[in-house]
Amino acid sequence: MEEIRAGASPAPTSHKETQPGEQHPTIAKRRKRRWVAALARVLLLLLFIGGFVLSMLPWGRAVARSTQILPALITASEPASLIATGEPIGHTQMTVPSKSGPVYLDIYAPTSPTPLLPGTRGGALIIPGAGDNRQVPQLINLSESLARSGLVVMNMTTQIMMNYTISVEDTDAVVQAFKALTHLPGMTQNRAGIIAFSAGVPLACFGAADPRIRDEVAYVAVFGGYFDTESVLRAFGRRAVTADGKTEPWYPAEVPIQVLTNVITQTFSPQDRTLITNALPNGTPLTQGEFAQLSPQAQAAYQLLTGNAPDKVDQNIAALSPAVHVQLDELSPSKIIDRIRAPFFLLHDRNDTSVPFTESRAFAAALARLHHPYEYVEFHIFDHVEVRSNLALNQELTDGSRLFDILTRLLLADS
Amino acid sequence: MLILILIWLLIGMLVGLLATAARLQPSSWSRRVWLYMAGIGAAMAFCGGLLGTFIVGRYFATATALWIAVMGVVLLPRVVSLRKSQKTT
Repeated sequence: MEEIRAGASPAPTSHKETQPGEQHPTIAKRRKRRWVAALARVLLLLLFIGGFVLSMLPWGRAVARSTQILPALITASEPASLIATGEPIGHTQMTVPSKSGPVYLDIYAPTSPTPLLPGTRGGALIIPGAGDNRQVPQLINLSESLARSGLVVMNMTTQIMMNYTISVEDTDAVVQAFKALTHLPGMTQNRAGIIAFSAGVPLACFGAADPRIRDEVAYVAVFGGYFDTESVLRAFGRRAVTADGKTEPWYPAEVPIQVLTNVITQTFSPQDRTLITNALPNGTPLTQGEFAQLSPQAQAAYQLLTGNAPDKVDQNIAALSPAVHVQLDELSPSKIIDRIRAPFFLLHDRNDTSVPFTESRAFAAALARLHHPYEYVEFHIFDHVEVRSNLALNQELTDGSRLFDILTRLLLADS
Repeated sequence: MLILILIWLLIGMLVGLLATAARLQPSSWSRRVWLYMAGIGAAMAFCGGLLGTFIVGRYFATATALWIAVMGVVLLPRVVSLRKSQKTT
């Protein structure tokens, strides 16, 4: 084999005379060339290792995905590099039946053939929360970004969720949607997880605990969700939360008040329900006469939801009927987390006005007690579950690195 | 896809030039070395990109193109010169 040239070229003769103590210019040139060659070799080695790791190893692929998905999340738009180097994607809609009615599915998936290496095309079932969020730009952006990185993304909603309420009946809807996702072309050899936002969190937990799919769920990522319905109601009633031994004011936004109102009043008489739902979340407050017309439990619920009796929270919760207590229990992920096998990724904004961050802290504490694998991260850049605009650079960097870390771990669970 | 192929070719050419700076070419190559190395890099990156598309998907094809291009510029000139020397002997 021939000799490779590094440092092997003959030194050209120099006619310039050198002073004593001064380095010969040819020697200096040769040294410089050797340094350049050595540097170039190190660079090539790093490029080889980097390229190999980012394409061939599962954790490298997770890092490669996070690197482009993170800017898409923070800027709420897909970067040009992701569009140029990512998968071509398509958007389709389908409906699957479930015990609670049709499940509406929006699928964002790569249109290119499935890669030969198993684990490279994971899946994610996204449960966006109460209301019809299918046209929310940040949800579409997230779905498209994940799909461009090679994942099959399925967003689900049901009529119950679109009516701004939560019901355990939708558990079957989650199971059917997850089954539909895992049976899509190219998904047979790949894993899928569940990502849930806000009011979608309890449904994600109920679905992940269901024996029909619990062994197939790769992870459960919950963002801005609650852990115990009664403790959320307590925070609403107090208009305050207690964290790290300190009580701080907390004022809920309109949508969660509406959702909680719809949940609690389900078992009320039609008259009570109509009066309360007309007054909340931003209707005309009840007059004293109207308030007096309510049953004792409806009066208690009204005071809890409006937060106008923060000192009577415990009495008001006790005044709710057993049927309401059963319902609150049924809708609490705290009751079923020991039945879930998938690892949890908990995310919550510290200043969330829809669901108090203390809920995710309680969730994490319960998982720690159970020795269940989980990751918990608190942020300051979100408005509930959407990225705020005009973020300061230090916030972007601090929370961005946390988001990158948890995103990588989550995507690794999918590989 | 055209943009992606151009990106692969560009990456390959840069890797080839870097290999020239690293003096990875056989000593018998004396003329237009940088051009040959850039060509080898581009060709290997293109092949690597296509291979990556099939094996790991388009999203990871660029990273595959990168490491295959590096492997190509390191190994291919040596293989070529080895075969040449075997023929001459």
